[in-house]
Amino acid sequence: MAQFSRLQAFVCVAFVFFTAPVFAAQDGCSSQLYRGTAPAIQTEALAGQTHPICFSEIAVLYSGISRTPLWSAEHLTPARIERARSLPRLRSNAFHEESRVPGEERSELSDYRRSGFDRGHMAPNGDMSTPVAQEESFSLANMIPQDPCNNEVLWEGIESAVRDVALSGDEVFVVTGPAFLGADLQSLKGRVLVPTHIYKAIYVPSRNAAAAYFAPNDDSQNWETLSIADLETRVGIDVFPQLDGKVRRHAMILPAPTPHFGCRLQTSEASQQRSSQGR
Amino acid sequence: MNFAPFKNESDAVTLGDLKIENREDQIAIYGRLTLTRDRAGLEAAKALKELFGKIVNELENGPDLPIKVAAAEPPKKVKNPFGQA
Repeated sequence: MAQFSRLQAFVCVAFVFFTAPVFAAQDGCSSQLYRGTAPAIQTEALAGQTHPICFSEIAVLYSGISRTPLWSAEHLTPARIERARSLPRLRSNAFHEESRVPGEERSELSDYRRSGFDRGHMAPNGDMSTPVAQEESFSLANMIPQDPCNNEVLWEGIESAVRDVALSGDEVFVVTGPAFLGADLQSLKGRVLVPTHIYKAIYVPSRNAAAAYFAPNDDSQNWETLSIADLETRVGIDVFPQLDGKVRRHAMILPAPTPHFGCRLQTSEASQQRSSQGR
Repeated sequence: MNFAPFKNESDAVTLGDLKIENREDQIAIYGRLTLTRDRAGLEAAKALKELFGKIVNELENGPDLPIKVAAAEPPKKVKNPFGQA
């Protein structure tokens, strides 16, 4: 196993980075990224027609091929989450098309109409600490077609668990995105690709520890823990290029998702095992 | 509160940890909310009442309410453009 890891590490180093989206220093997006470094796309096909988009509290890489983000990055601090929680309880927002994406590559509200899929936030609005950032998070550039039970139960619970890490006093770097695995995919209106899986990677600098939640985009409520290195192998994106090899290969124990209630409360054996280990 | 039930695909209301998302064929309500016996509880209860009033009004008085909403349009099967060659 150790030999295999060493081999993997060697192969990773040999990869070429196909895109390194550059966020201008003045737009503030580099502050959402660990050491100001954007995730590195390592699969050539993923790198085509990509557009970096900088929101006030989210850095996004949008794909005009899938018409979804490939990743949405956020830097959560205890102060940010406290501010987010002190916003008025009642808020009105609007899901909206992203004007910064070229017309033909832009996902539209009509793509999702009567699709049976939720518009699932990658960076959740619950992490946004100002009214402007809240509204920005409703851009379709931050959305994927997400199974409703996944979005409304499991994923909601994962988002809440990650916020709790920040609320307990640790800053957290978060990268969330879709995975498109297999020979065939589903597509809304032949335009917006439906991800097969969803990941949320976290790095907690105070513990120098990282891992990713990885879940199928379905109603099973199943999820697994991946190391950052394993996530890179599955998804083709190095979400935290600045982490050293040991941290990348060792998955921290992730806090158990804290969903509000279940559509289907079946959990995978692996998930149950992790839950019983506690936080 | 900006919320025109079933009239658009964009309106989204957040009330504490409760999310209400408008679609033309359905409205999703998820998350959780505690109504406390205090001023904040009253405000939240009134917001819910207003929202449900709008929804009931649209369902009762909007045109052509079907017995059952049309099924979702199934997604199309496509080749994975990101698949390894």
